[in-house]
Amino acid sequence: MDVSQYLEIFIDESSEHLQSLSDCIMNLEKEPDNKETINEVFRAAHSLKGMAGTMGFKRMQHLTHDMENVFQEVRSDKIAVDSAMIDLLFKCLDALDGYLANIKASADEGTEDNEIIIKELNDFIARANGNKDASALAKTQSAADTEPESVSVGKRVRKIELSDSEKKEVSGARAEGKKVYSITVYIQKDCLLKAARAFLVFRAVEGVGRILVNRPSSQDIEDEKFELDFSFCVASNESLDKIIAAAKNVSEIEEVVGEEITEDVARAEEEVRTQPANDPAKADTPKTTESKQTAPANKKQTPAKPATNRTVRVDIEKLDALMNQVSELIIAKNSLVSISSTEGGSFSSQGFHEQIEYLERITTNLHESVMKVRMVPIESVVNKFPRMIRDLSRTLNKKMELYMTGEDTELDRTVVDQIGDPLQHLLRNSADHGLENAELRAERGKPETGTIFLNAYQEGNNVIIQVGDDGNGIDVEAVKAKAVERGVITQEQADVMTQKEAVNLLFMPSFSMAKKITDISGRGVGLDVVKSNIEALGGDVEVKTKLGEGSTFTVRLPLTLAIIQALLVTVREEKYAIALASITSIEDIPVKDIKYVEAREVIHLRDSVIPLVRLDRVLDIEPKAEDGDNLTVVIVKRGDQQAGLVVDNLIGQQEIVIKSLGKYISGNKLISGATILGDGEVALIIDANTLM
Amino acid sequence: MADYKIESQEVETKQYIVVQIGNEKYGIDIRYIDNIVRMQKITRVPKAQSYFKGVINLRGEIVPVMSIRKKMGLEDDVITDASRIIILKVEEKGSLGVVVDQVREVITLNIAEIDKSGVSAKNAKDTFINGIGKNGEELISLFEISAILEEREMN
Repeated sequence: MDVSQYLEIFIDESSEHLQSLSDCIMNLEKEPDNKETINEVFRAAHSLKGMAGTMGFKRMQHLTHDMENVFQEVRSDKIAVDSAMIDLLFKCLDALDGYLANIKASADEGTEDNEIIIKELNDFIARANGNKDASALAKTQSAADTEPESVSVGKRVRKIELSDSEKKEVSGARAEGKKVYSITVYIQKDCLLKAARAFLVFRAVEGVGRILVNRPSSQDIEDEKFELDFSFCVASNESLDKIIAAAKNVSEIEEVVGEEITEDVARAEEEVRTQPANDPAKADTPKTTESKQTAPANKKQTPAKPATNRTVRVDIEKLDALMNQVSELIIAKNSLVSISSTEGGSFSSQGFHEQIEYLERITTNLHESVMKVRMVPIESVVNKFPRMIRDLSRTLNKKMELYMTGEDTELDRTVVDQIGDPLQHLLRNSADHGLENAELRAERGKPETGTIFLNAYQEGNNVIIQVGDDGNGIDVEAVKAKAVERGVITQEQADVMTQKEAVNLLFMPSFSMAKKITDISGRGVGLDVVKSNIEALGGDVEVKTKLGEGSTFTVRLPLTLAIIQALLVTVREEKYAIALASITSIEDIPVKDIKYVEAREVIHLRDSVIPLVRLDRVLDIEPKAEDGDNLTVVIVKRGDQQAGLVVDNLIGQQEIVIKSLGKYISGNKLISGATILGDGEVALIIDANTLM
Repeated sequence: MADYKIESQEVETKQYIVVQIGNEKYGIDIRYIDNIVRMQKITRVPKAQSYFKGVINLRGEIVPVMSIRKKMGLEDDVITDASRIIILKVEEKGSLGVVVDQVREVITLNIAEIDKSGVSAKNAKDTFINGIGKNGEELISLFEISAILEEREMN
């Protein structure tokens, strides 16, 4: 049986199991006695082992098996969870991550055996069991009895109706002095790879006996044409228990029950007993062995190709909504067709307009649904952070705790994929530079354990992710001094700099505040990379800090990248689009209200002074000789900064599809893209953020 | 591509589209040409390199359009009814439009007959040319596509 078709499922599920293992082990560290967590860990390790085995990843299977053994000992209270063990378990997870990365890249687990880790694991068990031989345990992989499965009562052996040739088969085997058992295997309800499980059961059972008959047929089993159970007859010299144990060793098997086929069943066949039984029954067994051989062969054909595509798991409800809207779209189309055909060309314009409106509504909904399909929770990115903070706490020798909220906040898949690194940088920064050492914290009257937080939430068309700590905060004077020393700014500039401007110096390339370079941060490639990564996603980042009390980095990201609501404006003959999300209001300002501050035009609006930006000037358009009496001003904001863009006219609000200007036109930060208007004309999109 | 190979077994040839820019005729390797479109409204892009005239909407895609004249350091284009935009398609960087005064014809040149000796780096304009082809009595300068795509400007 070829397992390569299951590779993607395998990778997906393994990542999930690894994540839940990591979460659980973190929990375990906090509450070593939580039985539920231990059980969950055990289950995850067990499933992982089973899946790795199915896919033929032996090394991965071996490692998880040994991990499972450790959990087993914990579960039966033979070893207590201690920090050495947690460390070791995390090492295992890293090794497993390594295997998974290899599999993702090349569909092969690689050749690293991780013997040291395995040995350490076995040492653990050995210590727990006193004098029990550790190396022997390592080799008990195939022995089945490590898993105590709870025996459920409701499962019964299914009666197998035998055909004539199969009857001969059964009695033939009995004639050879073997025992024939009828076995029914029940697979767990949530098992994804039923056929693979069945195949594994057959392989396990063939180790101890010969399968004579199976129900449904082996072809149907391979095609997964069965419910949650399948049955077979097996001839063997071994006891029933041993065969059941072999079958149970396969993971995700809920229950295996069996009984010996007794005289009564076979009696009917007494008369044909003498006939040699071979061919028809053997047809089943070679089939399975044959497919077993093709599996590795098939895998070898595609070694170097990356094994996975980027996928999004979509909630079925979202797909249903999409489907409904497509149906509506078809109805709307049909209505339009009927309007144009039935009334012989002279269709009523009212009906026509109604349909257009209907169509408009559907396309808007459809767009929303499609965007929702692309949305994934940021959980997939942030859930690796608790582990990271734990490791950092160790290496930095500082006590710290990470508090996260809003992990279920959703963002466009492309954004989520790329937000991981910047966030990681910020968290590392907090851990390394932000939090003070224990003495200083005590001196300042702060709790010994430092707090790092990550809060995510949605705000309008943006998602806000705040990362911060209750540590030292940014020493603005130190930053200025450093900048002057590096020649980034002059002393005079430093003297007049606001706190905000000074903090922004941190985002300049190659500006590291770390007094000594550490593993974690301080190579000066941190914050400027964070900033450029986030800006590349159409977002921005801001810092709020108070010396001695901590700092907060606020990352603002657009919900989606492809389609936005925009205000269309004209400046002379040209049309431009401004993202609605950045607009706060549109004002009609009398020219006489314009004031001057430091020779720059400003307006005074609702208690704030807002600088004016003449769009014609920044866009290299000939300025008008004379202003009219009033100016149309679009007020835009970015964080707490505002600016007033002077435009000639407003066209209106529109949903626009953002297109890139391509790679040829460069040096253009002001224009973030272009869009195609209804009449086919191109309008450029102004990135208002660059004007502040 | 297949046809090209079959031909190449006999005589190695290349096909060029001949365009007119000013008084001169230039050949563009046909393999790089995706499309030739009529002059249409070009949306100016502020702050772009000066030789970019702007962007156009080519069947729903935004395609930047370049003035090859300005890039070569010649006077600005005079747009007439004969003006065309040649859409070049290059794998890595996507489509690019180039404005030409007129599109003349498609010619097939024998590679052996392309004169490369006349190409020198002395004249700035010549660096956009990788050879001279002869079409009957006419001389045709053959564009080096990569030079057109490169980000630099001749003055």
